[in-house]
Amino acid sequence: MNANLTRTVTASVIAVGFGLSGARAENIDVSTLPSRDTVQLTIYNAEDLTLVRETRHITFRRGMNPLQFSWANTLIDPTSVDIRFISHAAELDVLDTTYPHDKPQMLYWNVRSEIDGEAVVEISYFTSGITWSADYTCVSDRAETGMSFEGFVKITNGSGEDYAGARVRLVVGEINLIDKVADLARRGLISEAEYDGYRRDHKKANAFAKEAARTEYFRAAGRMMSDFNAPKSIVKQGLSEYFIFTIPGEETVRNGWSKRMRLFAGKNVPFEIVYRYRPAEYGDQLVRLFILRNDEKSTLGSSPLPDGVVRLFRDNGRDGLSFLTAYQTKYVPIGQEIELNLGHDPEVVHERVRLRAWRDNFWFQGRRPKLYFSPSKGHRIAPNYSIVGWDDHEQWVERIRNYRGKPIQVEIRREFNGHVIFASNLDPTLYDYRSPEFTATIAAADERDLAYDLSFKQGINMTQNSVTLKR
Amino acid sequence: MNLRPSISHALILGCAVIAAAPALGGVKLITLPARERVEIQLDNMNATLVEEERVVPLAEGANEVVFKWANTNIDKASIQFRCLTNPGEIKVLSVSYPPGENALIWQVFAPRAGSARVRISYLIGGLDKTFAYRAIATNDEKTLTLWQYLLLHNNSNESFGEAGMWAGFGERLQRPIGLNETKRLLTARFDNVPITKTYTADFARHGYLDAGKQQLRIPMHYLIRNDADNGMGRFPLMPGKARIFQDDGQGTVAFLGEDWAPFTPLDDEVLLYLGVARDIVVKRTIVERKARRRFGPIHEYDIVVKYEIENFKDKPVVLDIAESMIALRQEILGNKSRSVEWVLGDRGTLSEPDEAKSTADRPVFHVKLPARRDNQKAVKIEHTFNVVIRNEW
Repeated sequence: MNANLTRTVTASVIAVGFGLSGARAENIDVSTLPSRDTVQLTIYNAEDLTLVRETRHITFRRGMNPLQFSWANTLIDPTSVDIRFISHAAELDVLDTTYPHDKPQMLYWNVRSEIDGEAVVEISYFTSGITWSADYTCVSDRAETGMSFEGFVKITNGSGEDYAGARVRLVVGEINLIDKVADLARRGLISEAEYDGYRRDHKKANAFAKEAARTEYFRAAGRMMSDFNAPKSIVKQGLSEYFIFTIPGEETVRNGWSKRMRLFAGKNVPFEIVYRYRPAEYGDQLVRLFILRNDEKSTLGSSPLPDGVVRLFRDNGRDGLSFLTAYQTKYVPIGQEIELNLGHDPEVVHERVRLRAWRDNFWFQGRRPKLYFSPSKGHRIAPNYSIVGWDDHEQWVERIRNYRGKPIQVEIRREFNGHVIFASNLDPTLYDYRSPEFTATIAAADERDLAYDLSFKQGINMTQNSVTLKR
Repeated sequence: MNLRPSISHALILGCAVIAAAPALGGVKLITLPARERVEIQLDNMNATLVEEERVVPLAEGANEVVFKWANTNIDKASIQFRCLTNPGEIKVLSVSYPPGENALIWQVFAPRAGSARVRISYLIGGLDKTFAYRAIATNDEKTLTLWQYLLLHNNSNESFGEAGMWAGFGERLQRPIGLNETKRLLTARFDNVPITKTYTADFARHGYLDAGKQQLRIPMHYLIRNDADNGMGRFPLMPGKARIFQDDGQGTVAFLGEDWAPFTPLDDEVLLYLGVARDIVVKRTIVERKARRRFGPIHEYDIVVKYEIENFKDKPVVLDIAESMIALRQEILGNKSRSVEWVLGDRGTLSEPDEAKSTADRPVFHVKLPARRDNQKAVKIEHTFNVVIRNEW
């Protein structure tokens, strides 16, 4: 075997010295290199995992046929490499698989053939280093009532292997893995128990990939192969807990390169503008949000939106764009809201003002435990009594000044610990047991004080640990 | 095709009709379309968006448009390509990113050969802005003229030539932007802006000038309002360094001081600190501290703070006196975490706080101080602040 050849050919299958079983110790050898006929990549975004399925034509002769598969300088998980016979499956069998101790990124299959002739084999394996990610570009119209919303997928190949003419599918969803493929690729072979477990995962992913392939992929691929004058319409398909984006036709993703394609394009997507003060979610500031929905009504909703960066621009009315924000969004299922946080708005001023603070409803304890006294009940309170309960009161306003040319909707939510009475005429509701919230509309070019009173029950006055609303 | 042998820009747009797989190496002929228009959008507080237009020759079918940059900090993921000519027909099929290079290749389909104007936009680092202000007050300090400048610092390692700029307010500006240049651009001028000169006695914020004598530090500020009634109010003022000069009455100006102007929304006040007023002497002493037991261990504290004030200026001024209730309680009772419950007592001369400027923790009073006498002696004025701090233990 030519050692140099092995180093320069990555992920190659070599048919070695026909008819020689166990001939790997020889120093002089003859081999042929069947090339890939097809290759399919199924790339998962939640894990550094790609299932590669490739087919090759190999000529067998009756008897034992050693096959060498090597993957020097790649990130292939050796435990995942599998071979099956697409044609002549009944006449071909893998008798054993050998991982030579001195050649870590290589294995040999001994194939027993009952035919003399060509057969199609499928080799599948997991590799790490191929990733994909989504990103989104939104451009709001000048009036801020609708936006274009384009989604993109970007595939990056850092696997060490070129994949030319590959059929590519991208999987959205989390798949359970016991080990990281990158670790396995580095570590090499693992224990038998781990190996068995891993093969089960492999089979699961493989079956999942086949199921997807049977359905939409080929139809879409056939439809799009001749359509070369438009961005590819990526086919979206739900499967179990996952979602698959199938890129029609074939793609070449060379090692080290990235490729970005449009996933979908929504036009005139309507959105609402809301201002929110929710320190637990957005920090201690009133933020401006564009809120839209991933549904058909919004010309979106053809697929969930995978995690990705949303870049939001606005038509600035001067034949150009203004950059508003870049925002990492989480996975958005079909039908769910999408929040785009623009942060602080210099045209809306929010001040939180405490107007007054006072205390009352005092309770005291004398020498005898569990006997409490209150001056408001006419009890005499000695100087040496301990204070055991009282109420703290505070009067607040959320002062909002709106310098925008149209009314704005403001939502305020605050979180309190302890036994709190929240009193307001703003029709507050409870978001959770300790977070009152209320909304208000501030007219264009107007100022409004949103007032509320807080009472904090302290000491023995505290009988709850929650907020009670009072109108 | 227009092939130029040398390229001075760090940013290069190349257009090649390449049928084979994309690669930046090898022998090829590319065109280098020049920038036709550059707009720099400075309206975002944290990022600068560059939009440039070029006319690229496109062949019928698939084209590759290469965008390369060197030694510039472009956010690769932010780069957008939009075709302004026949946008419905000329389409970006995909984008490829070669390894180890600051470059990308758009695969663009054109239905027929011809030139197309394209707009490429991207976020760039090193092209930053700050704001600065210069003010010249009249000799009588009644009004001032305020200039606002945008300082554009081009450390992006790219020359943009004649570029349009917009700061998010005011007029669009157009200037050449060269390599490593800082440009100071006038963005607004406000004339006849009324000034209120303020002197503030606030022990909690400004402390003592002379602790032994309990003499307070009295800072002097120019107060201007960012509203239309005061000749401003066109847009919120961005933060920046403000240098203040005064007409000295002899045809020149004197430098009064400088301060950082904070972000100032519309209708808000800008307070520019100019220095310590040494001609206004304020001594602050707590002259009474009476504890009264209400019930049990609960007490209230009747406090009187005395201010002895002398104005050695030859004109009358108004002094703002502010008391922090938290700081005052700390002086008499030490640290307490609870809020201060207080009411004004009826024994003080400072009895009508300015409601607009006061908060629950800090009442503010205004006191008129007469000019010094003809014999150069100041009139000593006494004011007292009587407060009852309630329900403490």
